[in-house]
Amino acid sequence: MITFEGVTKRYPDGTVAVDDLDLTVPSGHTTVLVGSSGSGKTTALRMINRMVEPTAGRVAIDGDDVRGQDPPVLRRSIGYVIQQAGLFPHRTVADNIATVPRLLGWSRRRARSRAGELLELVGLEPEHADRYPHQLSGGQQQRVGVARALAADPPILLMDEPFSAVDPVVRAGLQDELLRLQDELRKTVVFVTHDIDEAVKIGDSIAVLRPGGRLAQVDRPERLLADPADDFVEAFVGYDRGVRRLSFFPARDLPLRSDVIVTAGDTAADARDVARRAKEPWLLVVDSRRRPLGWVAAEALAAAADERDVADLDLVGYGHVFTVSTDSLRAALDAAVLSPAGRAVGVADDGTALGAVAQTELGAAIWAVGGDEHTGAVSRHG
Amino acid sequence: MADPAHEVWAAAAPLWGWAVESARWGWQNLDDPVGPLLAEHVLLSYASVLIGLVLAVPLGVLSVRYRVVYPPVLSGVNALYAIPSLALFFLLLPYTAFSPWTAIIPLALYTLAILVPNVVDGLNQVPDHVRQAAAAMGFSPLRRLLQVELPVAVPVIIAGLRVAAVATISMVSVASLVGLGGLGGVILTYGFARNFAAPVVVGITLSVALAFATDGLLVLAQRALTPWARDRGPARRGGRGLAVRRRATAAARAGEKGAL
Repeated sequence: MITFEGVTKRYPDGTVAVDDLDLTVPSGHTTVLVGSSGSGKTTALRMINRMVEPTAGRVAIDGDDVRGQDPPVLRRSIGYVIQQAGLFPHRTVADNIATVPRLLGWSRRRARSRAGELLELVGLEPEHADRYPHQLSGGQQQRVGVARALAADPPILLMDEPFSAVDPVVRAGLQDELLRLQDELRKTVVFVTHDIDEAVKIGDSIAVLRPGGRLAQVDRPERLLADPADDFVEAFVGYDRGVRRLSFFPARDLPLRSDVIVTAGDTAADARDVARRAKEPWLLVVDSRRRPLGWVAAEALAAAADERDVADLDLVGYGHVFTVSTDSLRAALDAAVLSPAGRAVGVADDGTALGAVAQTELGAAIWAVGGDEHTGAVSRHG
Repeated sequence: MADPAHEVWAAAAPLWGWAVESARWGWQNLDDPVGPLLAEHVLLSYASVLIGLVLAVPLGVLSVRYRVVYPPVLSGVNALYAIPSLALFFLLLPYTAFSPWTAIIPLALYTLAILVPNVVDGLNQVPDHVRQAAAAMGFSPLRRLLQVELPVAVPVIIAGLRVAAVATISMVSVASLVGLGGLGGVILTYGFARNFAAPVVVGITLSVALAFATDGLLVLAQRALTPWARDRGPARRGGRGLAVRRRATAAARAGEKGAL
C-alpha cells in the first residue's frame, strides 16, 4: 500500500505542482492518476520512487516513509516504465531487461535466464533477446520497457504515460496485455495518463487531478462515470460518460430473440410465416453452420416468389456483432447503432448466432442499469 | 605536331625520378634516422591524444553536470589552443628540457579544444528519457555515468578523437624545432637543412600515411566498441548530425592550427 499524506510539491519559482494530496493506493490494484497537463500527476508518481522530493507531507510504502531509504536502493525495488520506454540504446534487449537484477548483484547467467522468462511473459519472441532497441518497433520497445520494469519482481510498478507514444491499435493491444499481466501478477500499479478512456480501461480506481495539483475525485471507474463529484470531473470524463459507463455492464442478460432467425435453404414462404409469428420487420439469415449472413426485410419477403431461397434475396449487411458471454452493453449498443436493421446480432464464443436484440430492448436494459448503479456493475469489463 | 600525351609524360618524368629517389633514400636510411623518428612521431602523437582524452573526459563530465563550469572551461581550452605551439615548446624547455614531455604537454593541451566540446556534446545527446530511466532503475550517479551515459556518448567522443589524432600527428613535426619532432626531424634536419628534397618527401608521405592509418584504427575501434550504433534508424540521426557538425568545425580549427 502506498500512501500520500498531505503531500505538496512547490518549486522555488512558486509553482505548485502537487497541492496537499491525500491518497491511498491499495496493494495489488491498479490506480490511475489522470489529469490534464499541469495537474501534477507525473510529479506525484515520481515522489513514490524519490525522483522528486515533496516540499511538505509524506509518501509511505506499507507505512514506511520513502525518505528512509537511499534512492538507488529504493528504486531497485520499484518497477518504472516511461513514455518512450527509455531503453538503453547500447544494450541488447536481454541486457536491458537484466538491468535491475544486475544492479542487485545477480549473476550474469541468472539475470540472463530471467530476461528470457520476461521476454516470453510480455509476448516477445526469444530471438529478440540479442537485438538492440532501435531494431524494434515502438510497441515492442514498450513491451521490453515493461519486461525491464518487472525483471526483479518488484511489488510496485510505476507507469508514466507508457502507451501514449504508440499508435491507437498498438496502444489497445498493450493495454489488453497489461490487463492480462496484472490478472496474473497482481502488482501495486500506479499508472499516469491524460486519457480518460485509458484510465477507465486500465484502472481499478481512478484519481482525477485538476490543474494546480489538487485531487478532484478518487473512485472506481464506473462510479466516476456515474457520479462525477463536480463540474470539473464531469467535463474531464466527457459528456458521453453515460455511454462509456455501459462498458461496465455485461451484455449477457440482454433479452436475445432467437425466433427471428431463418436458415439458408428456407423458402421465402417459410420466412414470411416466421416474420408474421415474430411480428418483426427484419429477419436474420444464417448459413447452415448458424453463422450470420445478413438481414432480410419483411417487405422484401412479401415481394419474393414463394419458392425463393432466403439466402438468395437481397440481404442487408449485419455490421459487427457482439459476443454475448464477454462483451458489455456498450458493445451491444454500438452493434445495434451501426446495424442498418437497427438490431444487434449476439453471437456465441464460436461465432454462431444466438439471436438479435433491437434498440428498443437495449434501451430498456440501459434504463435498468442507469437506475441501479450499485448492483449491476461488474468488477472489470464484464 | 606535338603529342599531348608525350608532353605530359615528359613533364611527369622528373617527378617520377624524384619519387624513386625519395623512396630509395627512405629505404636506405630506414634504420637511421627514418625508423626511429617515425616511432618517436607515433609515441609523441599517441601519448598526447591519450593524455588529452584522459583530461577531457572529466572536464566534459564536470561541464555537463555543472553547466556554469562549461563557458569558462571552453574559453580556457580555446585560449590554450590560441597559444602558438612553438612558443609553448620553448616555454617548457626550462622545466622539461629535451624530454618528450616538452612536446607531449602542449600537444595534449591542444587536443582539449577538440575533445572537451565533443565529450560535452556526446553526453548532452544522451536522450533525457534514457537518463531518467537509468536513474529510476536505481543506478547511482557514478554508475549511471560509467555504464549508461559515457557508453552512449562513445560515437561522438570517437568522432572527436579522429579529428584530434589527425591534427596532432600533423602538429608533432613543429616540435622538431626543439629537437623532438618525429618525422619533422627528417624534414627539417635531413631535408631543409641540407637543401635535399628526398627526406622532405619521405617525411611528408609517412606523416600523411600515419594519419590515415590512425584514423582507420579509430574507425575500427568505434565499430568494435559500438556494435549498437552500426545501422541505427532515422530516429537517432539528430545525435549523429551533431557529431558530424562538431567534427566539421573541429576540422576547420585543426586546419588553422596546422598552418601555424
